[in-house]
Amino acid sequence: MGQVLVLGLISGGIYALFALGVVMVHRGTGVLTFANGEVGTAGLFLAALLVDGWTIPVPFIDNPTLPALPWALGALAAVAFAALLGCLFEVLVVRRMGVSDPVAVAVATVGLALFLLASELQIFGESPKELAAPVTGGPTIFGVIVTPTQIAGLLLAIALGFGLQAVLRRTDFGLGILAAAQDPAAVRLVGVPLSRISLTIWGAGAALAAIAALLVEPTVGILYPGYASELYVVGLAAAVIGGLNSLPGAVVGGCVLGIAQSAATRYLSDLHLPGLHFVVVLVVLLVVMLGRQLLPELIKRMDTAPSRAAEVSA
Amino acid sequence: MTAVSRPARTRRLRVPGILIALVLAAVLPPTLGAAVLSDSNALLASAACAFAIAAISLNMLMGYAGQISLGQFAFVGVGAFTTGIVTSPEQLRLPWLAGLAASVVVGGLIAFLVGLPALRLRGLYLAVVTVSVAYVGWLSLFRVEAIGGGSAGKVTPNPYIGDEPITSDTGFLAIAAVLLILVWQVDVNLTRSRLGRAFQAVKADEQVAASFGIDVTRYKLLAFTISGAVAGIAGSIIGTAYGTVTASTFDYARSLLLVVIVVIGGLGSRWGVVSAAIFATLLPNTLVWIFGPGIRGLDLVINAALLMYTLAQHPGGFAGAIEHFVEKRRQRKGGAAPLPPTRPNLPALTRPVGMPAIPKTRAGTAVLTATGVSVRFGGLQAVDSASLRVDRGTIVGLMGPNGAGKTTMFNAITGALTPDTGRIELLGVDVSALPTHRRTALGMSRTFQLIGLAKGQSVYENLLIAQHLAAPYGVLSALTTIGPSRFYERDVRARADEVIDGLGFGRYRDTQVARLSHGQQRIVEIGCALVTSPELVMLDEPSAGMSPAAAEDLAATLRDMRDVLGRTILLIEHNVPLVLDVSDELYVMDAGRVIANGEPVEVVTRPEVVTAYLGVAPSREEARV
Repeated sequence: MGQVLVLGLISGGIYALFALGVVMVHRGTGVLTFANGEVGTAGLFLAALLVDGWTIPVPFIDNPTLPALPWALGALAAVAFAALLGCLFEVLVVRRMGVSDPVAVAVATVGLALFLLASELQIFGESPKELAAPVTGGPTIFGVIVTPTQIAGLLLAIALGFGLQAVLRRTDFGLGILAAAQDPAAVRLVGVPLSRISLTIWGAGAALAAIAALLVEPTVGILYPGYASELYVVGLAAAVIGGLNSLPGAVVGGCVLGIAQSAATRYLSDLHLPGLHFVVVLVVLLVVMLGRQLLPELIKRMDTAPSRAAEVSA
Repeated sequence: MTAVSRPARTRRLRVPGILIALVLAAVLPPTLGAAVLSDSNALLASAACAFAIAAISLNMLMGYAGQISLGQFAFVGVGAFTTGIVTSPEQLRLPWLAGLAASVVVGGLIAFLVGLPALRLRGLYLAVVTVSVAYVGWLSLFRVEAIGGGSAGKVTPNPYIGDEPITSDTGFLAIAAVLLILVWQVDVNLTRSRLGRAFQAVKADEQVAASFGIDVTRYKLLAFTISGAVAGIAGSIIGTAYGTVTASTFDYARSLLLVVIVVIGGLGSRWGVVSAAIFATLLPNTLVWIFGPGIRGLDLVINAALLMYTLAQHPGGFAGAIEHFVEKRRQRKGGAAPLPPTRPNLPALTRPVGMPAIPKTRAGTAVLTATGVSVRFGGLQAVDSASLRVDRGTIVGLMGPNGAGKTTMFNAITGALTPDTGRIELLGVDVSALPTHRRTALGMSRTFQLIGLAKGQSVYENLLIAQHLAAPYGVLSALTTIGPSRFYERDVRARADEVIDGLGFGRYRDTQVARLSHGQQRIVEIGCALVTSPELVMLDEPSAGMSPAAAEDLAATLRDMRDVLGRTILLIEHNVPLVLDVSDELYVMDAGRVIANGEPVEVVTRPEVVTAYLGVAPSREEARV
């Protein structure tokens, strides 16, 4: 039981980090982005390239071996690269789409996801690559060895979930972000720098995805094209479970999915179902959606039932 | 007259057209095939047909109904493995056609079950669910030994026609081509039916769609189900053409690629998405052929980049860009059409046979009574126990300063929102618990402050959308044009043309509504509100944005609606002279409450009404200071 909880929270923290990016972009622009998982993977590849000093085939240069850098520098470069990708997407695509609807921008993010995935496949191939963990070891909780990166992931998710919420509600810039999603024209008229807000959101969402990817990768130690997208899917579901607009909700959603997965792995392993993790996500997602429709009706019925009875007696 | 006979003429031409295409598709590949096409090219052509069908299926959902699916290839996979299971000698051993039919049913069924929870919620929830579905299919379901055949993959045996197995790739290409043509025809039928029109309306605006009597959730779910069923056909072809498929044939990237293809081709354009699908299937080999094998895999990069470029520069896709070009050429040649009259001649229409009749009541009985309606938005009491009554054959005005709660009251009456308390009765029936589309069926129609039309569609199509309830035929009849759909379509099309002639919009019949002026759009909207002869017509600020002259014409139109057509009207208006001119009775709202009602000219002179509009008159002391 304790083991299930610990394992669930470890992966839940990562899902929460991805979900926070989803919620932030959604609150700030009204867009659901499907690309950030692959943006995170792209960041990971850069980090692996820098840290392990891979040789990649570059035309006209013989044996272009890069010097191996420390993990922290590679990670920094990965986050910066992801943020750059997010900003480039905003400038080159989102901005040019003008005042178009969020659905079209969501479709454009699908293009970005496929573009990055296909580029990674083209450059690095399908086979997994290795990126060594920065630190190893860590305390044992309920028989599970919890590594420093895993602890960092969960703590960062919780801190960001509530910290970003405070930034959004308490600062001018945060309020500008919230208002921008509701009425861009009005926000521009009162002098809020809309383009800077949009740029910040897309950049920050992408950077968050890279951070999440960097924190989860050491657990297994390999990466491949589409690696972080598989986790980002769960992050998307977590954001939806948390209500799509709530940052603390995203953290809760991530932890719920993480625990559900580890519980399923523990108790349903006899089914020998491949990809059980994703089945759990789909089932929880569908149940939560059903619940969201049925619960208000139930509450309403319970509310009105006594008053109806009173009406009849009167 | 020409307009009325047009559909009949195209129908006479269409049937031989599709028959010829079917015969050619069935005969050409096997006879000429081996000479022209190598087996590997025939296989590629079959794959192109399957991809085109998959693109059509996604276009039904994204292009027509406006819902995103990022898991369409999971449904294609469901089709492939279903056919495999049904026809496999180790499993069900049934004929290939049974496998195809099973793929359609299972694809549709899974789509229905997955869409049911997601589509009742507004927003992009379906998209998130479909991403999960894509992963569950690719990494879980298709890897189950009994479904996907394990690591060796699923083997689908060659199909039989009679006793003769089809072993050659050219032979199977004939089947794939025939299926593509049939799916194409089903898609044509869909867009020409109430089903396709309902999808378009839902995509344009869910609230407007509901006001035309369209059950929004039902049609979103239908779009997803039909799309899943058609994707099943594509899967059946892929599974059989390749002979062996594995889970990774239906990975997430394929689903993304399909979205890319549909958008590049042009959402909503049948030939656009089909040509894009064929282009995308042929692109990899063509690139390798031109640039050599080092280029393999680059086609995905190119496609994805093209998508982002398309969305940023040509949102209508390839088909949209071409249509835009043709439209420009035609405008340069044609010159502007004469303006339609601002005072339309409203045709007297009878209630359509497809709709429930409206009970005959005497003049003076209540058509609408709203009692004690309250609506609260957070801390704001938008409507505060307001009541009103509209009698048959009258025009009742509802006015009040901005923010008085008029439109909220309207929305409570139409069912666009559920009031916290209160009771709405339409023609003596308590409709308080009914959704908007059911109220529309009972004889209510409305217009919107910001024009409630599907603006991307033509005037004619909007008049057909507005008659959604007047053509109550089923899904199968819509997709096959067999059965009651022919009769009902003739009826609603004739009525649409009658209204267009009456409104004087003959030359604008096929013009996109978005290209009309605001005043013209308003007249079309009123035409749509009247086309099913509802008892109660509710107009939300019809004169907004109109010139004074046009507003005067509007007054005459409203009087015609009452006196000539015998309609009952509830009218929200800011234009005080207009309201006083046409109303038989006037309600005034302020801060959510009804503060006065009665004879219009008398009501507006009451002190509380004057105060609501002009503010409190200063008392003498204040005036002296």
